[in-house]
Amino acid sequence: MDPVLAVEDLTVTLTRPDGPVPVLERLSFSVEAGRTVALVGESGCGKSMTALAIMGLLPEGFARTDGRIRLAGEDIAAAQPSRLRALRGSALSMIFQEPMTALNPVYTVGDQIAEALRLHQRLGRRAALERALAMLRAVQIPAAERRLHAYPHELSGGMRQRVMIAMALACRPKLLIADEPTTALDVTVQAQVFDLLKALQDEMGTAIVLITHDLGAVADIADTVAVLYAGRCIEQGDTRSVMRAPQHPYTRGLMGCTPHLRLGAAADAGTGPLREIPGLVPPLGRRPAICAFADRCGRADATCLDNPQPPLAEAGPARAVACWHPEARAA
Amino acid sequence: MSALVAAEPAVRPEPMRSEAAAPMPRPAVNPGLAALRLFLRNPSGLLGSLILIGLLFAALAGPHLYGVDPFEIVGAPFQPPGGDPLLGTDYLGQDILAALLQGGRATLLVGFSAALITVVIGVTFGALAGFFGGRVDAALMKVTEFFQVLPTLLFAMVLVTLFGQRIAITTIAIGIVSWPPTARLTRAEFLRLRGLDFVKAARAAGAGPLYLIGRVILPNAAPPIVVSATLAIGTAVLFEGALSFLGLGDPNVMSWGLMIGQNRAYALEAWWTVLLPGAAIFLAVLGVSLVGDAVNDAVNPRLRKRS
Repeated sequence: MDPVLAVEDLTVTLTRPDGPVPVLERLSFSVEAGRTVALVGESGCGKSMTALAIMGLLPEGFARTDGRIRLAGEDIAAAQPSRLRALRGSALSMIFQEPMTALNPVYTVGDQIAEALRLHQRLGRRAALERALAMLRAVQIPAAERRLHAYPHELSGGMRQRVMIAMALACRPKLLIADEPTTALDVTVQAQVFDLLKALQDEMGTAIVLITHDLGAVADIADTVAVLYAGRCIEQGDTRSVMRAPQHPYTRGLMGCTPHLRLGAAADAGTGPLREIPGLVPPLGRRPAICAFADRCGRADATCLDNPQPPLAEAGPARAVACWHPEARAA
Repeated sequence: MSALVAAEPAVRPEPMRSEAAAPMPRPAVNPGLAALRLFLRNPSGLLGSLILIGLLFAALAGPHLYGVDPFEIVGAPFQPPGGDPLLGTDYLGQDILAALLQGGRATLLVGFSAALITVVIGVTFGALAGFFGGRVDAALMKVTEFFQVLPTLLFAMVLVTLFGQRIAITTIAIGIVSWPPTARLTRAEFLRLRGLDFVKAARAAGAGPLYLIGRVILPNAAPPIVVSATLAIGTAVLFEGALSFLGLGDPNVMSWGLMIGQNRAYALEAWWTVLLPGAAIFLAVLGVSLVGDAVNDAVNPRLRKRS
């Protein structure tokens, strides 16, 4: 099956007075209809930049300098601005991190959902509002009829994020980019939002690019995962196999930072202290050509420090890792 | 999962039609009506609109009802108010009440039209500069600064002297000299708003530049612009007064400013000849300011919770 989204060698560069600075380096991944790819990594690894690059909404100074972004076969990175505008909101949409600020405060939520439909599908006001109501019901907002005429400030964070999802999916896009959609929400609401996304995905066949640092959510809903570090993809593959046996020390470290709740008999099985990865992601412009993780890595040796970072290399079925000393594959 | 799909067939386009048969829920209150009610419940809104309606009625219907030509000499000059011409006569013996009624037309017309010009030019410049930034911003702001550094009254006087002392010229001149503050205000609001998440979200939903400017950002920038527009009406009324006071108004059109200007030499002996038109200007400016304040409170959904 042709992937809905295929990102190939995506390179994004920031132009600074003292020269170009690489932001994303030769990033490649793809996602098929009805499937989810998760982009994980610490803050500053380029996850959100990837999302903005796909949407064609890179901030001033940032530009795609190489690579292709194919949406259903069409290279949208090379598309005309008007074509891109027509695609945004209809074929590809995005959910933002902050539901508190991503809704326009002066319009009712019904009007905001309806607006995308009127823009892209040339629906009349009434028909668009009816579809908006249907979408509010689809995202399981209680008393949808009343909420249709509510202003954003009258809704809770979880409800606003549901409204955002309703807006993003109103035109039944082929691709949905969710940039940390639950970071700002309560834990219980987070689970509901992920369940909702999954349910809607099953129904509409939307491909999802999920940006998150919630590895629990990744395990739950992502089919494949790509681990980003300092603008480079350092490990990718099938979620189950990556989670079960991470090969890059960084991936392993990330997973060590995730708390596991152990109850009952499992509680005795030893709950070690939560580990952390020492150090910070190198800032933009200070990324070495060698493995950018080397100075935080317990396994780094002369090979790591003297050679440029290895490219992503095949490491088992549907797995790839960019490391000189990948962890041995779990037996 | 399947339970959800079964419960929510509405997402598919086909069953949508059956959905359409059900009556659409109406908003509990029409948002426009709600804003109007809020506006009228606000004491300053009510007072301001009463003042403005009163002045507009006097200016529109007054001359017909009263029926005295303001330029006609009806009696001895400097007759105090309370006599035969109700509000007395001026230095030429013209009826002051007739002049006030007739003059209101010109003054209010100039005020509203000049404010409209101010807002249209100012918002256009400010919105484009703030939204696009970069070179567009630099170029538009240079033009704005050019107009801003000119002494406004002097510039307006030059325009009126060059193009003639006609009421249309006065209006345009006032509009042209007073738009820079509105442009700066609008630009500042656009700079603040254009980086906000909901603008990014609108971009991500496929909105183009014009849509973003007009439908996404401008409504959010509206409250300070509305206030500044009402202030602009007041300023324009005062400006017209100042120009007429300096003898640069249209001498063939009665206005409150013209009355003050012509009688200014006798202000100490015959106070009513300047105080009455002065009070009329004061009332008009007060009225629009009160209304502007109340409009701001009423149209801003974030402030609606107050009610």
